[in-house]
Amino acid sequence: MPVEERQIRAPLLGFADAMEARAVADTASAPGPELHLLTFVLEREEFGVPVTQVREVIRVSDITRVPQAPAHVRGVANLRGRILAVVELRSRLGLPPADLTPRSRVVVVEVRGRVLGLLVDAVRQVTKVPEASVVPAPEEVISADVDYLRGVARWQSRLIILLDLEKALLPTE
Amino acid sequence: MPHSFLVIDDSKLHHQMYRLIFSRGALAGSTVHYATNGREGYGLLAAHPELTLVLLDLNMPEMNGLEVLERRRAEGLHPHIPIVLVTTEGSAEDEARGRSAGAWEYLRKPFQPADVEHLVMRALAKAEPIA
Amino acid sequence: MSVGDENPFGELLQDYVLECLPLAEQVADTFVELERRWRAGDPADELLGSLPGRLHTVKGNSAMMGLTPAQETAHALEDACGLLRRSSERRTDPAAALLITGGGLLVDLVRQASPELDPGPAARYVERVRQWMQGEGPPAADTQSERRRTDRRGGGGADKTDSVVRVDFRRLDALLEVLGEGLIQHSALAEAYRRLARRSGACEELDRLDQTILALEKTLKRLESTLMETRLLPIASVFGRFPRMLRDTAEAEGKRVRLLQSGGETPLDKAVLDRLSEPLLHLVTNAIVHGMEPPDARSLAGKPEEGTIRLDAAPHAGRVVIRVADDGRGLDEKAIRKKAEALGQELRDDEVVPLRSLIFLPGLSTAEQVSRLAGRGVGLDVVAGAIHALGGTIDVETEPGKGTAFTLSLPVTLAIIRSLIVEIDHERFALPMAHVAETVRAEPDAIREINHRGVAQWRGDLIHVADGGAVLGTAAADRAPRRFYVVMAAGGKRQALLVDRLVGHQDIVVKGLDPALGRPDVVSGTTILGDGRVACILDSVRILEGGRRAG
Repeated sequence: MPVEERQIRAPLLGFADAMEARAVADTASAPGPELHLLTFVLEREEFGVPVTQVREVIRVSDITRVPQAPAHVRGVANLRGRILAVVELRSRLGLPPADLTPRSRVVVVEVRGRVLGLLVDAVRQVTKVPEASVVPAPEEVISADVDYLRGVARWQSRLIILLDLEKALLPTE
Repeated sequence: MPHSFLVIDDSKLHHQMYRLIFSRGALAGSTVHYATNGREGYGLLAAHPELTLVLLDLNMPEMNGLEVLERRRAEGLHPHIPIVLVTTEGSAEDEARGRSAGAWEYLRKPFQPADVEHLVMRALAKAEPIA
Repeated sequence: MSVGDENPFGELLQDYVLECLPLAEQVADTFVELERRWRAGDPADELLGSLPGRLHTVKGNSAMMGLTPAQETAHALEDACGLLRRSSERRTDPAAALLITGGGLLVDLVRQASPELDPGPAARYVERVRQWMQGEGPPAADTQSERRRTDRRGGGGADKTDSVVRVDFRRLDALLEVLGEGLIQHSALAEAYRRLARRSGACEELDRLDQTILALEKTLKRLESTLMETRLLPIASVFGRFPRMLRDTAEAEGKRVRLLQSGGETPLDKAVLDRLSEPLLHLVTNAIVHGMEPPDARSLAGKPEEGTIRLDAAPHAGRVVIRVADDGRGLDEKAIRKKAEALGQELRDDEVVPLRSLIFLPGLSTAEQVSRLAGRGVGLDVVAGAIHALGGTIDVETEPGKGTAFTLSLPVTLAIIRSLIVEIDHERFALPMAHVAETVRAEPDAIREINHRGVAQWRGDLIHVADGGAVLGTAAADRAPRRFYVVMAAGGKRQALLVDRLVGHQDIVVKGLDPALGRPDVVSGTTILGDGRVACILDSVRILEGGRRAG
């Protein structure tokens, strides 16, 4: 994925920059254990979460706002009679808010037994990347705020930022 | 002819037990009347001269089993109806008093459905010449 | 009958628990009361006389069910009580302790009502009673562990007391979910009918449809009330745990306390009861540990050495009111105000801040020394939080030297509540009808501003009228005109909320708040409306209290 000019300085993108600077040539496609990911787009960056944690992807219907809920919670939605809390992943990751578009989706994930929705700009694909292509998050960009970054997969000229959903969604409660 | 029984016991659990016993085997189809204390039971006894057998619990509030027996004897109420005094083990003294107060037999807890069936058969054998 | 025989009455195990557990609990509570009376020098003959009959019934019933350990324990207790009735000189503390242990054991055995229980604890207990009856000195104290060992060997299977409810309860919850869906579908149907009627005008077919929808509503209502009744349990199932707990706590604290109860038969939804027992336990523990003076201090103050804690429950106006009152030293209002100020509460002299809004503040503990028992890091703010989360209110009255009383008001059920649906800034919200006093059309000149606060005349009083959008933080740029206000009332407080539209009344099925939503002050839960959209249920009590953050 070609790197474009970025206008924002979210900690996340700082991290991506750092990774970019560090990255050597693409890792050769050595066979080995693979990560099975669902990838989606936020602010033109591609993010990945393990498909094992994804239950389904739904179109955005009515999301009801909840007064006084934390800023990164978009609201609640009716998932076949069940109340689904929808997290505004942009705000959780320090990205600016964006309007809903026809491509917006809610990725329903299950993390430690809890089911939550993630509002994303668009869903890209389900893909496999070799574990060897993942570079761990460098110490200097890991702070208390961005500990939800598991690493970056550099694979076939793509850069997929791997999210640790437990840390991103279940901050010490 | 279907049989008719009277259960005088303050325990709802025992009512349920008798209901089970009287709903199976040879006794299925019997009519069972229930009372939860001696006073109520005595009233039902008076109202039902056709009873096959009465099962009377010893320990009850408002007129216990012995008092029911004593009153029945004093008033000569339906002397042909056999009354079984139901006791718990270890009440030999009470059983003796029950006998002398007019109990036909006694039944000791814990009992089995077969024990009740047996008593009923004996009561019928005894009652037939009268009927 | 030996253990393991197929019991002909096995299907009656639940009836057995229903009949014998209250008896066993009464017996166990009476033992606690006996100890108290004996210590006070009262032989308590009549109390002792009430025991053999109950024990006899438990013994006989247990025997019938083939539950030998319960039968033998009841038998041993019956014998012990018989001996105590004959010889008053044996009515001692160790004897009372022996009875109390046996009472607890009996309650456990009856509650579990399993033919597969380990017979060991009962056998050991029976042996201890036998030794005591033969005068072989005080029995070895082994209270707690003996009771704990009655746990069933195999594990698995639910506890039979509650199984009438507990096992079935998940099914009841599932049924409730289904009913909820039915209610939602009914409102969707009714809504569709209204639209259809507007579009096509009256006709015979539509009339019939209307009749059917009405009939469906009645059917659902019947289903709902039947289902709700099945979920109700007497509050005694929670109160029942207190006498023995109270005895242990009082003993550990060196206090002398008796417990009086009333209203144990008051029914409450099991879901409410389950969440009520912890806060109630905390209030009672607090009353013993902090409220009650030690016996010598009480007699110096001219009070009986033995303190009294009252636990009363009663239904009131569709809710349940519970009072926990002690006749102890009362709250130290000065100390509380000082602490509250230290915590940053501004206390102006011209405004009398009621004690109740201070005592439930986080971090406020009035006890000078942290007690072993109450010092579990839980304050009254947590109790209040738990009660509020149940849709309840908590209030406190206190008088120095006379005592303290906490009054809780709770909904009978949490599952389905009648609500007023309102619209504020394009979002719909549900307001529980329990706290809605009236809805009023907001005429332009009806609301005046005093001290930057909107006020309106309502039933002869001036009440605060708050903007719904401001309270909920929803204020949208394209704000719709607020055409109505809803007067809310609870716990003696009244306030009106301006809303854009009144949508209608609806029975809503209450769904919880996902932990991801944090702990909003103004929202107590969520629900799904007839059109499938989610609406937040407003926490009227918190709004009336001005919310934590607003305070």
